[in-house]
Amino acid sequence: MSDDTRDTAAVDVGAVDSSVVAASDIEVDHAQLNESIARFAGPSGDYYAAAFRRIHNARRGLPNTFNLFAALLGPLWAASRAVWGMFWGFLLLEMIAWVQIGRGWWGNPGASFFERADKQRERAGNFLERAESARAAGDDPARFEKLAENLTNAADKNHVQGLAANAEAFEILLFGLLMLLAFKLMQGFYANIAYENQYSRWRIDPVRVESGRKTRNIALGAALVLMIAPLTIYDFTVASPLAALEIFPEKEVSALFVAGPNETLFSVIAGWLEARIDVAAVAGAGAFDGITAGVRSILRAISLALIDTPWPVVMAVIFVTAWRAAGPRVAIFTAASLVYIALLGYWEIAMETVALVGAAVAICVTAGIPLGIWFGKSKRAYHAAEPILDLMQTLPAFVYLIPIIAFFGTGNPPGILATIIFGMPPVIRLTALGIRGVPNDIKEAAVAFGASRYQLLRDVEVPLALPSIMTGVNQTILMCLSMVVIISLIGGGGLGKVILEALQYAAKGPGLLGGFAILFCAMVIDRIVQGAFRRDDQK
Amino acid sequence: MTETVVKASHVWKVFGARYREALDAIQREGIGKPEVLKRFACVVGVQDASFEVLRSEIFCIMGLSGSGKSTLVRHVNRLIEPTSGNIEVLGRDISQLGDAQLREVRANQIGMVFQHMALMPHRSVRDNVAYPLEIRGVPKSKRWAVSDHTLELVDLVGYEDRLPKELSGGMQQRVGIARALASDPQVLLMDEPFSALDPLIRMQIQDQFKKLAVKLQKTTLFITHDLDEAIRIGHRIAIMKDGLIVQVGTPEEIVMHPADDYVREFVKGISKLKLFKAHSIMRPLESYQGDGGNGVALSAAPRADENATLDELIDHALGSGRPVVITSAGRDVGVVSKTQLLRSIQGDKES
Repeated sequence: MSDDTRDTAAVDVGAVDSSVVAASDIEVDHAQLNESIARFAGPSGDYYAAAFRRIHNARRGLPNTFNLFAALLGPLWAASRAVWGMFWGFLLLEMIAWVQIGRGWWGNPGASFFERADKQRERAGNFLERAESARAAGDDPARFEKLAENLTNAADKNHVQGLAANAEAFEILLFGLLMLLAFKLMQGFYANIAYENQYSRWRIDPVRVESGRKTRNIALGAALVLMIAPLTIYDFTVASPLAALEIFPEKEVSALFVAGPNETLFSVIAGWLEARIDVAAVAGAGAFDGITAGVRSILRAISLALIDTPWPVVMAVIFVTAWRAAGPRVAIFTAASLVYIALLGYWEIAMETVALVGAAVAICVTAGIPLGIWFGKSKRAYHAAEPILDLMQTLPAFVYLIPIIAFFGTGNPPGILATIIFGMPPVIRLTALGIRGVPNDIKEAAVAFGASRYQLLRDVEVPLALPSIMTGVNQTILMCLSMVVIISLIGGGGLGKVILEALQYAAKGPGLLGGFAILFCAMVIDRIVQGAFRRDDQK
Repeated sequence: MTETVVKASHVWKVFGARYREALDAIQREGIGKPEVLKRFACVVGVQDASFEVLRSEIFCIMGLSGSGKSTLVRHVNRLIEPTSGNIEVLGRDISQLGDAQLREVRANQIGMVFQHMALMPHRSVRDNVAYPLEIRGVPKSKRWAVSDHTLELVDLVGYEDRLPKELSGGMQQRVGIARALASDPQVLLMDEPFSALDPLIRMQIQDQFKKLAVKLQKTTLFITHDLDEAIRIGHRIAIMKDGLIVQVGTPEEIVMHPADDYVREFVKGISKLKLFKAHSIMRPLESYQGDGGNGVALSAAPRADENATLDELIDHALGSGRPVVITSAGRDVGVVSKTQLLRSIQGDKES
């Protein structure tokens, strides 16, 4: 076949004389390697060439190299060679050692004991004076003498403890020195290995991985050490350091910006935000009421179907749906869950929960899938939206419950809105992921056969992204269910209210039963949805 | 075979944000690919490509990976817009079409087959084949009928209701071919359709495709990186290197007269036995001096048609030990001596 002919042709052109050599006979080209290492290391390249050769020759275990400068200079060496991971790690370790040394050397571990002892002696002296004056007045001085004696004893005890602590200071000093020595040795042994590692990365990416010894890095390292080390050691070793170092002086700093006597930056900004929110709530009252009304009408429609329909009908429909969509096993599980919920008297309230989740999920999906498709197609839009999605998912629910109350009031519709904030990101993200993951050649084929953008979306992108989209819908459902408990805090109903009440009265039994009811709701919904959207070619 | 169906003239494609400046610099200063990449961060896909494809012709574009052949063929249905130059399909300038017109041309006149089949995994074989018709709004009954008929052409009866993943690679590619044929397009674009198949299956499907091509007489642009395949299938071959078309010609022309060392390197290992025809190596009758000086034996010499391959000529020559006289429409037109025969099998060396 022509593949063979072409391959030989390529070999003929490319390789001039390469014969096969057994691996054991291959010589290492040290000259070339040394040159490359020297180029990487810059100053004292020869030293590193030799050190790296020892590392390269090591079979296993620790290679026998020791970098004296790294040991002596510590983090400064790491900084000068831009081995920043090592710089931070050993800076921290050395700080610990230095703090111990500082405490042992000039710190006064017994100081607090001596201070206490002095105070106690002073008070003992006071009591003795009062005893004297009592005696002069003809009263019984015994009470004061007794107190003075107790205080003197306590002072002696403190004094002894202070002496002991001071004696311990030497041990602390010794321990600190040993630690420092150990860290220095570790750095000496580790430095070349870390540096060789950096060299390997530099060979892959010589532009971004730093090489050589740069003045800028030395200066940066020295500045960092100077900023961190003295203050920290001072703070740890001195018995009563400056208050400004212990607590951030926010009041003083605030005073630089804020004029009012009782105002801080915090109070000003918080007050401003509150005013903004009030203004916005008033200004947008119409819009917010509209949204609330819209959500309420969706909720009412779902509630009507679930609660106002006779329960046997609803149960039968759920059971048959489970059977048709996900098979007999899920149907049996569904039946058991329904029995649990009904027998424990949660039927109506569970249906309210399902209605709440249903409304939230319906809104999440109808808004989320189009958004996801958009984000999947436009990288720019996705990058713009990503921080917002992160925010929606990571912001604790309690934080946005407050503005939601301000804008939408309390009750079920605002609860649904809070649920949407939390539940929408997964369906958006996974839809975008699915759309981006559609193989290019299938899209290209559709376009080549004349598909319009809409046809491409309908026939190729959405069907191929469907598994991912359904995972997103599923995630969204579960997220919404987990929010149901929290929205009871702003007056949402359903099983969340049961849990909240149980929590308030520390009622363990009812809380657990309600929790299981939520769990079963979640699992039934999840299984039915999963089953319904599993496509034929995926079974 | 005279009407031009696809005509590309001076097509350039430069990829990258600064493609305009890059193209200007290339055309004015004549800078090479590496410099374009360095100065403008642009990649040159196709350089000044011009070719014509005639009706019912199979036109192969052959080149190694990265030579721009797939890029070039995507200009024909404007999956890629040319940076400059233009392409005519059936006399219409493709780049002048509006969106709707372009979609209509793609759906009606150009079928395409892809290297990795690109079938839709969620549709049955029949629905995959029917997709181009579905886009055109053909009713279901009609498109299913057409789909079944087309599947019959590629010998896939009985697999209509299967999903693509249930089929082997070769069968999937036949579905791909059926899909390209479903809308009965005049032009067929085939982008390395058989490259992903293993060699044995590839040979089979190549033969099958050749038969089909004879039957259907579609104007075809066939992309391949395999010169053997190009020679087996193509009426004419364009060889591309680094986005440049270095030679266009019939398989014989390419093998006999490679334009440069690059092409020569390619055709070195190609077997000439089935490729060369008698008329391309024969000498005039008058020039025949006879083997060893006696010029009397020609009347008794075996006759062969001018379109006989070298392989057949060898059979004739072996049978008689005499030179072979070449005939055209029953008339003697030339002669091939044993020396010429052997030399031409040998290839490049002048006989």
